[in-house]
Amino acid sequence: MGVHEGIEPAEAAKAPPDFSAQLGRAAPPTRSRHAVNEPMIAHWCDAMGDANPCYVDPEYASRSVHGGIVAPPAMLDVWDRPGLLSARGGTTPRMRVLEELKHAGYDSIVAVNTALELARYLCPGEVVSNVETLDDVSGEKRTARGPGHFVTSRHSYTNEQGEHVGDLMFRMLVFRPEPAGDLVSARPDAGAAAAPDPNPALRPVPAVNRDNQFFWDGARDRELRIQRCNGCEHLLAPPGPRCPHCGSFDMGWVTASGRGRLYSYAVPEHPKAAGFEYPLLVALVEVEGTRTVANLVGITRDQLRIGMPLELCWLEGGQYPLPQFRAPLPVRNTTTLAIEDLSEGDRLPLVSLPITATLIVAGAVATRDYTAVHHDRDVAQAQGSKDVFLNINTSVGLLQRVVSDWAGPEALFRSIRVRLGAPGYPGDLLTFSGAVTALDRASRQITLGIRAADSYGDHAVATAELTLPPRQA
Amino acid sequence: MSRHAYAGNTAICGIGATEFSKASGRSELRLALEACVAALEDAGVEAAKVNGLSTFSMDTNPENEIMRLLGIGELTHFSRVHFGGGAPCATVQLAAMAVNEGVADFVLCYRAFNERSERRFGAGVQERPPLATAEEAQYAWTSPFGLLTPASWVAMFATRIMHEHGVTSEDFGRVAVADRRHAATNPAAHFFGRPITLAEHQQSRYVVEPLRLLDCCQETDGGQAILVTSLDRARDLRQRPVVIEAAAQGMADEQQMMRSYFRESLTGLPEMATCARQIWETSGLSPTDVRTAVFYDHFTPFVLPQIEEFGFCGRGEARHFIADGNIELGGRLPINTHGGQLGEAYLHGMNGIAEGVRQVRGTSVNQVEDAEHVLVTGGTGVPTSALMLGTEP
Repeated sequence: MGVHEGIEPAEAAKAPPDFSAQLGRAAPPTRSRHAVNEPMIAHWCDAMGDANPCYVDPEYASRSVHGGIVAPPAMLDVWDRPGLLSARGGTTPRMRVLEELKHAGYDSIVAVNTALELARYLCPGEVVSNVETLDDVSGEKRTARGPGHFVTSRHSYTNEQGEHVGDLMFRMLVFRPEPAGDLVSARPDAGAAAAPDPNPALRPVPAVNRDNQFFWDGARDRELRIQRCNGCEHLLAPPGPRCPHCGSFDMGWVTASGRGRLYSYAVPEHPKAAGFEYPLLVALVEVEGTRTVANLVGITRDQLRIGMPLELCWLEGGQYPLPQFRAPLPVRNTTTLAIEDLSEGDRLPLVSLPITATLIVAGAVATRDYTAVHHDRDVAQAQGSKDVFLNINTSVGLLQRVVSDWAGPEALFRSIRVRLGAPGYPGDLLTFSGAVTALDRASRQITLGIRAADSYGDHAVATAELTLPPRQA
Repeated sequence: MSRHAYAGNTAICGIGATEFSKASGRSELRLALEACVAALEDAGVEAAKVNGLSTFSMDTNPENEIMRLLGIGELTHFSRVHFGGGAPCATVQLAAMAVNEGVADFVLCYRAFNERSERRFGAGVQERPPLATAEEAQYAWTSPFGLLTPASWVAMFATRIMHEHGVTSEDFGRVAVADRRHAATNPAAHFFGRPITLAEHQQSRYVVEPLRLLDCCQETDGGQAILVTSLDRARDLRQRPVVIEAAAQGMADEQQMMRSYFRESLTGLPEMATCARQIWETSGLSPTDVRTAVFYDHFTPFVLPQIEEFGFCGRGEARHFIADGNIELGGRLPINTHGGQLGEAYLHGMNGIAEGVRQVRGTSVNQVEDAEHVLVTGGTGVPTSALMLGTEP
């Protein structure tokens, strides 16, 4: 730190860069290398797990409100991106500003806001152009990541006929990383000096004997096993060597489906024990007509509802993997909601998506984002990140998928506005919660407020505006 | 099943205790001996006449050392009931059975520990080694997930009681307020002179949500002994006999140690229902005959189903029974007039038996009028026990 202190006065004395000449200036239009096309749409849908047939099923799409295949609206700003080898020709006012900032020591970039306004959905064959305007460069701000400037640009998209199809507002933070800006150390529990080590290896080790060995063997195979009598098929929890139902000593087991419901819960706060991350949620979960105790992940105290659906996942890192439960994966509604089905305040079902390295890389490539931090762990770590992390377009894509899975295939997105927060790293879990915040029955428009949270906090806080189709007779 | 043979023919003739503190400064064995000596003095019985001892698990004081150091020549009965705090009333039942059978003449029931200053009970099982006995293996279903303390085990039931019966944290709080009000006028109580308000309860931090700090008792250093003999012998002693009108043990419905999470309903206490049935059948009494009770209250939530299991109100109605003021002095059924374990001391229920004896004798600091029959219960959430004490007819 002493070295930094030594050089800071000199830096502070430097005049702040003046970008006024660049503000409000538009770059020449870009033009997509390829027309909107079904293979890229299909790859994007695969990466996001979006199974909306309007994007991939010609027969379904032809009978839909669209009358044919359309591109997912969150792909609006994907089409005109340069490929891996074809660098964008020329330079833009924004690129000039970024170059200057880099020169001044602000060498790291993170996306903070994106707002898509969708005039209509794009169809295969359309060729998208984009005019980028540099909207604003803020003065130096102190941020959790380090001192930096917010750079805001506007992008207006048209097709080859010059028809306006949508807009994007994009804001990034261009900053000088500081060690304290590392988000890992910004975790809510990191500051508490007295907090015991949360390493799961320090949890009490289950006492294993002949009667419960099958359960812990199952845990090693990531199977939640329930004891079942081989004589009468009675399920016994907790297990034992004799079936109290028929008297048989011949005890076997079945593997639980992994779906459960919350029966009860406790939130231990004192005393805190090593091996656990607090706040700690302990649940009693109904599974297959029996119950099991497990931790909940990706769910906050205020989201707990007795009876809520849950799905099994595993805590790694201890002597045995331990069963835990998260919110279920999104389930795709095959029929589209009607405005009559909804009221202001209605909650979207709590759902979660595990973040994997595959999702991060597939999402980055499907959105033509070749920034190394989204596919190369070494580069990501060299730049101070724990690992590769989700790019903003994947976050928006996942939000679109989760909303669309709930609202149905023919709900039309009008806008998706996202503020990005905590990074999404492999091994973490994105849990989506949301509610209808506004609703207009005449125009059949709804506004949703949505949060996608992971273990570091809010990954994305978003609003989405949709129009629902009239209820079909 | 009907009347137990010892019921009505046996009595508690002496009670004795050490002070209740947070740091006794003496060994647990010494506390046990002091409590036993005090009970013998209270009864006016010489130690040499005692030929039976009864205690319950988690007590570290071996019967042979109690015998040797009290100067007892021989024992013809010694019994130790399993499952910790569930068993205080069971020690009295075993003593009464031994006396009634002619196996022993005087049986001392005792419990003593430095639970606060030496081995903190509330700290739970974090350090418990993973031995693979059937008993230890049961912890595999809860400890790896962070349910490590009695408070955490009870919390899972409390959440469900709240969900199904519309009970609130304030309903739990009213139990604590009643206990602390009663403790406030009991000089022997840890919280003597320190009543609490419902608002203070609501402001106290969560220990394990939904349990707040003031829903939980505090560990105690101390000892308590109870001397049991036949009613005939008791009549010739120093104190007015307190008749053992009924006693019961109960274990039921897929019982686990504080973690019976796998039984159909988590809102009742089936093991206490087993006790209640025996208590009413053996004593021939009904809830209307009982003016005061000592309900085991290491944590407030389980007081509610106890009131229901004994039939003082209907299923799910305890919160109304409590909110209507019935459990405080002057109410229909003042409970824990010594302050309970929340207010007086957490001696795993043995101090509650002593308060039952004082109510029957008419010597409680919070004496309830016409306390001819006093109900006392053992630990909740565990295999348990109960007593009905009464005046001689």
